[in-house]
Amino acid sequence: MNTLELTSDALKLDLPSVETRIKRFIKDYVEKCGAEGVVLGVSGGLDSCTTAALASLSLGGHKVLGITMPEEETHNATDIQHAKLLAKKFGFDLQIVDISSTLKVCFQSLPIYDATDKISKGNVKARIRMVYLYYYANKLNRLVCGTSDKSETMMGYFTKWGDGAADISPIMDLYKTQVRQLALHVGVPAEIVAKPPSPGLWPSQLAEKELGIKYETLDLILFGLEHFMKSREIAEQLNLPLKLVEDVKRRWLATEHKRRLPLTTKLGYRTVGKDFRLPHKPY
Amino acid sequence: MLEKVNVALAQINCKVGDKKHNISIMKKNIRQAKEKGANLVIFPELSLTGYLNRDVAYELAESIPGPSIHSLEEIAKKESIHIVFGMPEQSEKAHAVLYNTAVLLSPAGLIGKYRKMYLPTHSVFEEKRYFRLGYEAPVFETEMGKMGLTICYDIFFPEIPRLLRLKGAQLIICISASPAVRSRFFEVFTAARALENTVFLAYVNLVGVENGLQFWGGSRIIAPDGSILTKAKYDEEDLVIGTIDYADLERAEAFVPTLRDLRPELFDSLREQAEKM
Repeated sequence: MNTLELTSDALKLDLPSVETRIKRFIKDYVEKCGAEGVVLGVSGGLDSCTTAALASLSLGGHKVLGITMPEEETHNATDIQHAKLLAKKFGFDLQIVDISSTLKVCFQSLPIYDATDKISKGNVKARIRMVYLYYYANKLNRLVCGTSDKSETMMGYFTKWGDGAADISPIMDLYKTQVRQLALHVGVPAEIVAKPPSPGLWPSQLAEKELGIKYETLDLILFGLEHFMKSREIAEQLNLPLKLVEDVKRRWLATEHKRRLPLTTKLGYRTVGKDFRLPHKPY
Repeated sequence: MLEKVNVALAQINCKVGDKKHNISIMKKNIRQAKEKGANLVIFPELSLTGYLNRDVAYELAESIPGPSIHSLEEIAKKESIHIVFGMPEQSEKAHAVLYNTAVLLSPAGLIGKYRKMYLPTHSVFEEKRYFRLGYEAPVFETEMGKMGLTICYDIFFPEIPRLLRLKGAQLIICISASPAVRSRFFEVFTAARALENTVFLAYVNLVGVENGLQFWGGSRIIAPDGSILTKAKYDEEDLVIGTIDYADLERAEAFVPTLRDLRPELFDSLREQAEKM
């Protein structure tokens, strides 16, 4: 078998086909659920803007509600402007809900709160945003539409039960660099696509800096791992230190717990999350 | 036996676990096919229940004959039409033993069945977890011609279509539940299996979305020279009819004489090598 060639060509998409499939997936699932539409967090970044655009193209903007949830510490006027720009372009409703006061109360009530622990603190922000999204979803009979991509999902670069919590995640099988292609294809403004990705959990947080790798490289490593390539082959092809590839692989494997239901021990005849294998409902 | 048969490919979107709903869709398609002059109507793999039933397959499976067969026999009789469809079959001897089965009905009732011989258990497929392998590939002599049945992944292997052809099949039917990422495989295999055996091949695939899998449709009838006679839409429900003229078989056999040139002495060696793999 020929070696898989890890070049940017490997990540090229049949964009019209991918767009159609994602739109069909969203529409089909929302209709089968009998939901009024979707609600999603729109930070103004690439993933959320692309997902919001696709959902609007699929369902019509009137069935898409974007919620932008800024907070004092990471407030970014450009991101909010981008969210507004996108909502206008794709015709969906956008609500700006500041979560600063909720966060303040939450942190104040935590007996062991430590303001210097930015990860624990940042995860609260992501989880509070999830709480808000599910409130809207319950209240308005909508589904929560996740905006995670494949790169961050494989790397576990998301908050468990925070931004990782959703009913559907339409772009979760696309790597970040593929989301960029699709974003431009569906008409997400170039200035949004060109921004350096950030989860926005603390000031100046940049995904590529935190992950220690550019998405162009990371995506090719992950693509190789997806296709059962050995770390050594990937490192050789990409001319990278073996350690870098192995670190990515280690992180991918170590974060599987974030992508699954909680683990339990097998006691019964059929067990949730193990061998209770039911069809997804609605289908 | 008819020399020319009008074959309807009923590319439907099934509801997982809802036999009543699926039978009503099948009935609607049968009536429409009949109105358009079809003699034979073919539905996709596991069209009675939808494809991804997982553990619920144990509840949904029925013996053959069973209640759903009786229900479809009635409509075959009423519309005077032959029907092929797919269902999870329960063994009469052991109720947790299931088969992924294709059923052939005529206006006079059940003609026969085929139990899938190659069960995909890789990628998103988990058929061996639920189904037992079939062991027979019968050819049915019917008013619609000599027919052999296959199911989906069977078509990746040349053995069953070849066996059916050598047993005299003129028409090979392949019912399928193929997700979109695999469409190019089926486009190649359907043409290859028809051409290498100089036989008619009718392929009928599901459409719709189940558990995030999008079935791509693209049902088709392939002529014995490998050309596409009739093709349904991609991704959407469709009902198309193509006419098979069995007189075309002889012309194809003379022009592409693969059956004349078969080398049976290679078959033993194939078996030896496959066992050693």
